Amino acid sequence: MAKPNRNLRNFCIIAHIDHGKSTIADRIMEFTGQVSKRDMEEQLLDSMEIERERGITIKLTPVRMYYTALDGEEYEFNLIDTPGHVDFTYEVSRSLAACEGALLVVDATQGVEAQTLANVYLALDNNLEIVPVINKIDLQSARVEEAKKEIEEVIGLDTENCPCVSAKEGTNIRDILEAVVHCVPPPDGDTDAPLSALIFDSYYDNYKGVILFVRVKDGTVKAGDKIRTFLSEKVYEVTEVGAFAPHLQPKGMLAAGEVGYLAASIKSIEDVAVGDTVTGAERPAAQPLPGYKKAQPVVFCGIYPLDGSRFTDLREAILKLKLNDAALTFEPDNSVALGFGFRCGFLGLLHMEIIQERIEREFNLDIITTAPSVSYLVHKTDGSDLFVDNPSHLPPPSDIESMEEPIVKAEIYSPPDYLGAIMELCQDKRGTFRDMTYLDERRVRLEYFLPLNEIVYDFFDELKSRTKGYASFDYELTGYQKSKLVRLDILLNGEVCDALSTIVHEGRAYARGRMLCENLRDAIPRQLFEIPVQAAVGGKIIARETVKAVRKDVLAKCYGGDITRKKKLLEKQKEGKKRMRQIGTVEVPSEVFMDILRTNKDRKTR
Amino acid sequence: MAGIYLHIPFCRQKCTYCDFVSFPNRLDVAEAYMACLIREAERRGKELENNVFESVYLGGGTPSVVDPDYIYAVMKQITKSFRLTKDPEITIELNPGTVSEKKIETYRRAGINRFSVGLQTAIDAQLAELGRIHNVQDFLYCASLLKGENFSADIMLGLKGQTKEDVRKSIEVAALGGAKHISMYALTPEDGTPIYTDYLNGELPDGDEVAELYDFGRKLLRQKGYFRYEVSNFAQKGYESRHNLNYWRRGEYIGLGVSASSFFFGKRFTNTFDLDEYMKCILSGVFPVIESETVSEQDAKFEFVMLALRTVRGLSAREYRAAFHSDWKTDFSDGYAKTRKYFAESGDRTRIRGEYLYVQNQILAEYMN
Repeated sequence: MAKPNRNLRNFCIIAHIDHGKSTIADRIMEFTGQVSKRDMEEQLLDSMEIERERGITIKLTPVRMYYTALDGEEYEFNLIDTPGHVDFTYEVSRSLAACEGALLVVDATQGVEAQTLANVYLALDNNLEIVPVINKIDLQSARVEEAKKEIEEVIGLDTENCPCVSAKEGTNIRDILEAVVHCVPPPDGDTDAPLSALIFDSYYDNYKGVILFVRVKDGTVKAGDKIRTFLSEKVYEVTEVGAFAPHLQPKGMLAAGEVGYLAASIKSIEDVAVGDTVTGAERPAAQPLPGYKKAQPVVFCGIYPLDGSRFTDLREAILKLKLNDAALTFEPDNSVALGFGFRCGFLGLLHMEIIQERIEREFNLDIITTAPSVSYLVHKTDGSDLFVDNPSHLPPPSDIESMEEPIVKAEIYSPPDYLGAIMELCQDKRGTFRDMTYLDERRVRLEYFLPLNEIVYDFFDELKSRTKGYASFDYELTGYQKSKLVRLDILLNGEVCDALSTIVHEGRAYARGRMLCENLRDAIPRQLFEIPVQAAVGGKIIARETVKAVRKDVLAKCYGGDITRKKKLLEKQKEGKKRMRQIGTVEVPSEVFMDILRTNKDRKTR
Repeated sequence: MAGIYLHIPFCRQKCTYCDFVSFPNRLDVAEAYMACLIREAERRGKELENNVFESVYLGGGTPSVVDPDYIYAVMKQITKSFRLTKDPEITIELNPGTVSEKKIETYRRAGINRFSVGLQTAIDAQLAELGRIHNVQDFLYCASLLKGENFSADIMLGLKGQTKEDVRKSIEVAALGGAKHISMYALTPEDGTPIYTDYLNGELPDGDEVAELYDFGRKLLRQKGYFRYEVSNFAQKGYESRHNLNYWRRGEYIGLGVSASSFFFGKRFTNTFDLDEYMKCILSGVFPVIESETVSEQDAKFEFVMLALRTVRGLSAREYRAAFHSDWKTDFSDGYAKTRKYFAESGDRTRIRGEYLYVQNQILAEYMN
């Protein structure tokens, strides 16, 4: 049995948003000479446009480096950058499975945050060695000793020799690298054993086919080898293996313990799944690696192409995104109002927004998305149960015995000044108080049980606006709870518009219905006839507004020189009409379906 | 049959809503300009010698601001260069603040037999606000000079603070003055004009309010014997403007002068908007055309429908067939199916029902490709 390279270190970085994870990754790369300062783009690993714009990491990104340590030996590092937001925990767990250690970055001014903890526990579950790093020591408000104490008390890690750095200024970066060398163990495995490599990510390259990101656990793999995965019978010939430098850099072979990529002219996207194991076709491993727990989507929405004829483009886009975002689920859907599209499931609201944006940007597709929904558990009168995440699939009220809705445990952190406002908000949102803890005199943690459907609605916006942006919150699904729920339908000129139906709590229906009607009244352009906009529950009208008929829409003068001008004007009007959806006799602008539930228009500023 | 349009780009001062090509400070070149107009007429006349014209329209600007002898000279050239019918309709636009007995007399001698007077409103404060150089008194004087003549008055809707009572007064003043024809236009605030600021500030009546004024005015006009024959035009029986009807029948017309538009030889073309450029071109013997578009068959059909439906007379299937050798309801079957409920049809004719004439853009858009 041959051991893997003893001088190999695979590690990732765990940190709360804004605690400087990507900056530390950049400094490490700079220090090891991986990239010269001159070529350095700010936050190199966040290569997606959205990541840079929002200053967050969405995708895990691996990079290989070489470091000559103080003991004189050269080490090979594989660093895997990971997302910090709770919605992307799934991505994190994937990177963790490819590593032996994790740097836990803690902001010296902020201390340990809730979301960090979740990831720390994930890392501990994966038997990773955790190396705490205190960042931002250059700031005036840095409380290095307090942060250390918090790490020791809350997580129970020894902080005696932990690196204290300023990633921004580049101070003490070598301490981090030394800590990696000495604290993170080299990988296990047997290079002589049959190949088994965990797929921890993948994406589609137009020339090379699917690129698999793998962590080789046992054996070796090189170009020309015949491989297969456990989930598919198909055999592929490896065309290229290599490392992340950070861009793909071919090399001769990947051996046990190493992290790298693998291409094998895999053209069919459906043949590969993240979490599956790659093995040799001729000498396969006996069993697959553990893989990952399947991510459960909690937020759902319909996605439709703005231009109905681009449905196949949308399908292609979603398939490709799915390839490197295993948490995304989808199934074909059909709406009377919006035509053919997909019902998609997401890990959270941010995940949903990111996917929507990626479809639009990376695939240049204009889409319509329906209001987010959650998955309800319906007990039918005939004794059967089903989950419903699409309001239009809800059985008729007479077939429903009872319904349950998903409940989350929400942790809200805020300065004490806003306690009253937050409690009022949680009350409004049908919350149940659970606990309140003063973390220090400036920070309180509130715990509430809240229905998830209130959170996907406008909880976040409301929380931000009622606390002037000071409060932050995090949530996790805890289970289902019986609830009186009804489907709220919207009727335009007497016809139900399926894409606007929502499932709401009975007590909410009236207020929600009235608000929807008011918003629609303002959003639907006036047409040649009066349009009643009604909200209904089980056939009973509970709110009504009217879009008045247009009274003036004419060019006053149309003489010699006006004729060409008038044609252009009508052309524009016709273009506008093309972007509308026909609901019965009513023309509705596509934006309506997305904006109608947004009480707060500046959602995107998150 | 075809029409001739002559553009006179001069005025005393710009009105606050005006986005026509008109130069308040260039009266010094009026003589040279009119000479150019004459040369353009001469050359176009040769080109169109086989065509017969039934109307001439002198618009502006303010044609009445230039020396009437120039108008006389231009008209002389028009009758010389173009073949006109026996009793052509020849109209000139007048600003009530620029008329005199002598002027009117000269116009008559020049063959002009119809006058279009820019009253706009019978409220002096509103006239001042618009930057008009005349008041209501001036209009009444002008009307007295035109007694017995075929004249039209322009009235504007959508002025700042305008009430139904104001509209009533304007219509009554025009009617009392003896107008045979009244054009009642909704003000269109154009970007770049002073009044556009008022519009952006929300100081002008909104669409609903204008529609309200329009409906009020329309009914009052009907009571007073003026019948709507097009969206903004009302006339006593037999006094409809032949020149304008020609546009809506998609008839041909030649435009002379700076910024004038023409429709001839299946093309829509427009002269330069630059006064000096225009004169330079004419003097060097080239037509000052800056834009020219050949109208496709499909476009032509659309224009026919769009223009015909502006009129109360409506669209004649027979005339459409004569022009295109096809059936309009077949050519526009989708649009027609969607909009037929807004039409009144009798035999050969289809017209937009009265209550929808003022919201016709939404109907016409369905006929666009």
